[in-house]
Amino acid sequence: MEVYSPEGLRADGRRWNEVRNFKCHINTHQNSSDGSSYVEMGNTKVVCLVSGPMESPSSGRKPNSSSNLTVSISMPSFVSNSRKKFKKNDKRIQELCIFLVKTFEQIVIMKNYPRTIISISIVVLSQDGGLLPSCVNAITLALIDAGISMYDYVSSINVGLYDTTPLLDLNHLEENDLSFLTLGVVGKSEKISLLLLEDKLSLDNLEKLLAIGIVGCHRIRDIMDQEIRRHGNLRLSKITNK
Amino acid sequence: MPKGIDVSNVAKDFELESLKQGLRLDGRKLNEFRDVEINIGNSYGSVDVKLGKTRIAVRISAEIVAPFEDRPFEGLFMINTEISPMASAMFESGRQSDEEILISRLIEKAVRRSNALDLESLCIIAGEKCWSIRADIHYLDYDGNFADISCIGVLCALLHFKKPDITINEHQEIIVHPINERVPVPLSILHIPICVTFAFFNPNDVEENIKGDSNAELIVVDPTMGEELLAYGSLTLTMNKNRELVQISKAGGLSIDAMVIMDCSNLAYEIACRITDQIREAIKADDAKRAEKRLEIRL
Amino acid sequence: MSAIETAVSGNPKKRLSSGLTVTQKVFVRSRNGGATKVVREHYLRNDIPCLSKSCKRCPNIVKANAQGEFPNFVLETDPLFLKNGKIGKHYLILDTNIILSAIDLIESNLSFYDVIIPQTALEEVRNKSFPIYLRVRALCKNEEKRFIVFHNEFKEETFLNRNKDESINDYNDRLIREVAKFYAKHLSDVGINVVLLTNDRNNLSKALNENIITKTLSDYVELLPNADELRDLVPSEFSNDFSRPNEVSYPEYFSTSRINGGIKNGTLYQGSITISSYNFLEGSVSVPSLPKPLLVIGRENLNRAFNGDLCVVELLPRDKWRKPSSTIVDDEVINKNDVADNEDNEIIISDQERRLLTQEAIEAQNSKEIQPTGRVVGIIKRSWRLYVGQIAPNSINQSHTGNAPKSCFVILMDRTLPKIRIRTRRAKELQGKRIVIGVDSWPSTSKYPEGHFVRTLGEIESAEAETEALLLEHDVEYSPFSKNVLDCLPKEGHDWKVPVDLQADEFIKKRKDLRDKLVCSIDPPGCVDIDDALHAVKLPNGNYEVGVHIADVTNFVKSGTALDHEGANRGTSVYLVDKRIDMLPMLLGTDLCSLKPYVDRFAFSVLWELDENADIVNVNFTKSIIKSREAFSYEQAQLRIDNPSQKDDLTEGMRVLLKLSKILKQKRLDAGALNLASPEVKVYMDSETADPGEVEIKKLLDTNSLVEEFMLLANISVARKIYDAFPQTAMLRRHAPPPATNFETLNNMLTIRKKMYVSLESSKALADSLDRCVDPEDPYFNTLLRIMVTRCMMAAEYFSSGSYSYPEFRHYGLAVDIYTHFTSPIRRYCDVVAHRQLAAAIGYETLDPSHRDKNKMELIVRNINKRHRNAQFAGRASIEYYVGQVMRNNESKQEGYIIKIFSNGIVVLVPKFGVESLIKLDQLSNDANTSEFDENNYSLKFKDTNGKMRTVHIFDKCEVEVKSKLDEATGKRRAQLILV
Repeated sequence: MEVYSPEGLRADGRRWNEVRNFKCHINTHQNSSDGSSYVEMGNTKVVCLVSGPMESPSSGRKPNSSSNLTVSISMPSFVSNSRKKFKKNDKRIQELCIFLVKTFEQIVIMKNYPRTIISISIVVLSQDGGLLPSCVNAITLALIDAGISMYDYVSSINVGLYDTTPLLDLNHLEENDLSFLTLGVVGKSEKISLLLLEDKLSLDNLEKLLAIGIVGCHRIRDIMDQEIRRHGNLRLSKITNK
Repeated sequence: MPKGIDVSNVAKDFELESLKQGLRLDGRKLNEFRDVEINIGNSYGSVDVKLGKTRIAVRISAEIVAPFEDRPFEGLFMINTEISPMASAMFESGRQSDEEILISRLIEKAVRRSNALDLESLCIIAGEKCWSIRADIHYLDYDGNFADISCIGVLCALLHFKKPDITINEHQEIIVHPINERVPVPLSILHIPICVTFAFFNPNDVEENIKGDSNAELIVVDPTMGEELLAYGSLTLTMNKNRELVQISKAGGLSIDAMVIMDCSNLAYEIACRITDQIREAIKADDAKRAEKRLEIRL
Repeated sequence: MSAIETAVSGNPKKRLSSGLTVTQKVFVRSRNGGATKVVREHYLRNDIPCLSKSCKRCPNIVKANAQGEFPNFVLETDPLFLKNGKIGKHYLILDTNIILSAIDLIESNLSFYDVIIPQTALEEVRNKSFPIYLRVRALCKNEEKRFIVFHNEFKEETFLNRNKDESINDYNDRLIREVAKFYAKHLSDVGINVVLLTNDRNNLSKALNENIITKTLSDYVELLPNADELRDLVPSEFSNDFSRPNEVSYPEYFSTSRINGGIKNGTLYQGSITISSYNFLEGSVSVPSLPKPLLVIGRENLNRAFNGDLCVVELLPRDKWRKPSSTIVDDEVINKNDVADNEDNEIIISDQERRLLTQEAIEAQNSKEIQPTGRVVGIIKRSWRLYVGQIAPNSINQSHTGNAPKSCFVILMDRTLPKIRIRTRRAKELQGKRIVIGVDSWPSTSKYPEGHFVRTLGEIESAEAETEALLLEHDVEYSPFSKNVLDCLPKEGHDWKVPVDLQADEFIKKRKDLRDKLVCSIDPPGCVDIDDALHAVKLPNGNYEVGVHIADVTNFVKSGTALDHEGANRGTSVYLVDKRIDMLPMLLGTDLCSLKPYVDRFAFSVLWELDENADIVNVNFTKSIIKSREAFSYEQAQLRIDNPSQKDDLTEGMRVLLKLSKILKQKRLDAGALNLASPEVKVYMDSETADPGEVEIKKLLDTNSLVEEFMLLANISVARKIYDAFPQTAMLRRHAPPPATNFETLNNMLTIRKKMYVSLESSKALADSLDRCVDPEDPYFNTLLRIMVTRCMMAAEYFSSGSYSYPEFRHYGLAVDIYTHFTSPIRRYCDVVAHRQLAAAIGYETLDPSHRDKNKMELIVRNINKRHRNAQFAGRASIEYYVGQVMRNNESKQEGYIIKIFSNGIVVLVPKFGVESLIKLDQLSNDANTSEFDENNYSLKFKDTNGKMRTVHIFDKCEVEVKSKLDEATGKRRAQLILV
């Protein structure tokens, strides 16, 4: 299949600047957590559960990671096509967790939660590209759902480059074929909190991709914001109806 | 920002205050990279690199193994990074800390994933035999910025390393020729990725960083250990002389404006070019030395 | 990607806020026996325009791309109008098979404008043949042809779900019909029709039922006003059936026990296979028990054999016996559209192959000269090594940017070998480079062998890359000498001197001090490795003392050392136009051993007493110390001899040598020595730019043959001596008489065309008959004939004396009964062995056991024979490359001679450049069908490009335009000749 046809269409029929079907819900797991969310970016689907702030389970011993925020990701083997088992200590997943911790440490107003722990766990249900962005978006929503104070939204998306054309929100096929940048943007600003590139990219194309990526992040932020407001109104109406 | 060593508030304030005035404790400018010192050892692929007080030793070794089943046409390349307490008291032996994971992944991406070493050229008989190249990085002393120095060290060592020549006879058997018998062959290095790390400091409070428009964050290139302890987040750019970004890694920390990141990458490119030339020269000088030695004895 | 089947149908659609609709495509992908379910998103949209200029609605729905450009509306408002068949103004829609089978027709400027390619068809084409896909994409860029791709599967209106149990082909056909329906409806108000072209009967009838205007390709072409011009271009209707599953599979090899049994009881034959350089689908295996080589014809019978493999063949029944083909078959032409990625679809042009085969079979039955044919049933030893080639540009996806490994083809420099499929991440970077690859396997299910990338040599046509490529191709060891080898050199290096004390040890005591003799050397200009020097003086008794002094290499190269092994392995120095690959380290070759003038050197001398008739009175061999008085070039020596005022003793000595050499030469010719010719040329390098300057045919002076005669004499004398001393293991060289069969065709051609013949009873008879074959009108003809005779000769070979009986020692070309190589030990390993054997024969030192052991000698001989041959080929290839570079700068008209004739081409030799090249029939003539090949008269009749009938015969002199052309496929610059 053509990754990007001369007629300007991608293999799945999108144009260069179109994001995939983005669907999100919050408060999906009321009983098992303090805050929860479900995010779908195309066929990438993740569930995020937040517990806390709560007392540090082993108060005597200082937790190894000095942070009060923990992230764990579980990837069942049905996540990918090959049905490959993911090892618990897979370095790539560990790295992903560290990235997420370091991102949200700055965004959550940690000084409000001294000597407590916020534990975030993510379950990936299906993987079709854009795993890190989905996780970031899901955590943002779940933290909001848990009522944890944050400075702003963090929204995230990836941008790839095909020849000279930037492509927004890559799926798995495109991720395999193209070099791409993953960005996490704070709120409606142009400030980048998270930035990750793993394949070669010409320096001269960086600016272009950053610009498109920031626009994409803002779009995601807006959809998330709508969902939060929709859910808020729903709750409000439930209360007022009582 | 590695934890484990606590810095007193006085020291912290002093350092931040001087950074605000554009001064660093070791006398460098904010955008100045420390001098790199490359020492090439006697045997092929052994290199000792110093970056200020940070010091590492890299050894390359090669053996013939079976390739991965899903990659029959490629050889193996492993980078072993174990940071022991020898480098600094803040590293524990045994369990890997977050920082170590990040550093090893970073080197992995910068050198291995970017195809700096041509894995395809390591194939001997597809699906059966290939070269496995292993780079061991020994961290000898720590004064910040392991990522950049590791990358320089591994690349120097790879460029310097030579593997024994081999031939395949008609029965598809591999004959390894000892290096005295046949001139050993260098590895095929496709490009030289150079890492440049920036550390961020926030002179104001967090809210200003996130909500404000001032973009007053202080950015320091090639942080020392002291600076790393105080910094809020870092950005490592890896690039080569062809103006290719090889990897970017900014794991959270202070939010930085996109334009500032662009400035950083342009600065990083200049530094990368300079270091690339330095590496090339070091290798060339060593080659020349070896050739001369050989000439002296033989001809 | 392997077979993809959609298994689940009817997925729910979901409308998104952005106006898109998303659905899921579900595949089951089978790979390596396993099955994986793949789910992909599929977005449907309503902003895909019809791209017709007459459409009023679509311009409102289009969207810009990332560069802000809007799509061009290309389909003409006023397309082709056809009265016949109620078609009227119309656009064309092509289905997959039409594109695949008739791409040449579609590309022609005569017809096919305003064409719609449905995305479905394009995708299928891409999977089946990437090169054809690229051609379609090129058509879409061509503004004149007005081709568009219509993304029907992304357009909401034209997307269809796959029905349950519907085959993928039926589904695709239905999608394409939907496109036709959409366009028909969409453009009905502007009066433009669409015509769907398909050759599939089933699809055709369904389309007609759905009221779509549908034609087969040939029916449509008949309707066109210029049908006459186009008719021939239409491929026969069902010639290519693409729906067939993977057909390419080779017969499995026999089991080892069956092969062993078969060879023992004589039903199977074993031999190494040689693939014809003009026809990659034809090989021959020489089998001792059969008079003529066994032919192996066709891909299936060759059964994955590589040129040079030691294989086992089975004889085919007599009705399949054939004569060697007279057709040129080129892999690149036949299989250029194969997809590297795809196993399933590799049968695309195999029909062309089949056609060629049948044509030949018919020809063969009409002819009496049939040869037994066989098929390969097993391979005992592969000749696989590292190969040099380049990536076939049309096998890689140019726009691909990722770094996932992709399959692509590598075309090897050696045209007798098939393309190799490799997987690499760097295909794009490697394009245009010479690369080295290794071959790993050739499974019976794969049309092409599998290999892997090893390294790059550099840009194609850069001197370094080409030189290294040809060294690798000819298996020349060119790496620098290793430490162990260099350790064997004398510690003093360049300061090494002949010891002053000649009584120092027992060896030096045995040396004869010949420093008083007036020795000089004569070599080509600029020669630094001087192997030989000569002297001559008149003796008081009227006879002459003549001495040949050869560099005493074995004084430095002791047997059993690393240095000796290296030399034995390299076998010979290799001389390229711009480079020399030494057999021994420079220090020895150009200094310590080289018989440089004015310094003392160790030598191995042959001293004769010759009488006035140059007959040997007696001969003496001794290790010696000499001091050469002067190093002459051939030209300098000639001038000095010719200058009557030079009366010094050195010059007089040279005059004696010249006189004697002439007598020796005459005696040799009288004995029947052959004077053959080769089209060799020399390339002069511009000394400043190192660019090749001009080409010159090698010329010979008297002094050349002076040196040559005495070297021959020395070699013969030494051969006798060492054979005498070591009758079982003496290192000798023989040249077998050519078998008469080699000359059959040549003599036949000579008799028919020139009423001449060459006789073969003896070398003397051959030499005499060659002298008689003179065409008074064409002085070059005799030389041409000598070149062709040379090619019928056997190759001379080294052997150890125990392998043959004395009468077989004979050197046919030189007409002597025994011969060896003794005179160039710096650059040939044979001479090194001969030196050691001679030293032992005269009691100078004991002979190393390895030179007394028959088996070990056999190994040495086999290796140096191979190395010698490779070195010659490498040297020629180097000249060929530089001649190509020279021709590149001076295209010119030259005289050429036709030396081979095929039914579809001729081979012309251009003496000026020493190049020969094939001119294919389609280059000779625009209309290949008019040609007639007269096998019995060796002539080819064809209509030339000006439309005139022309007949060419073998041996014809013709005017050709010489150009050098870069062969796109192999990256080799080759002479391209155009008949004027």
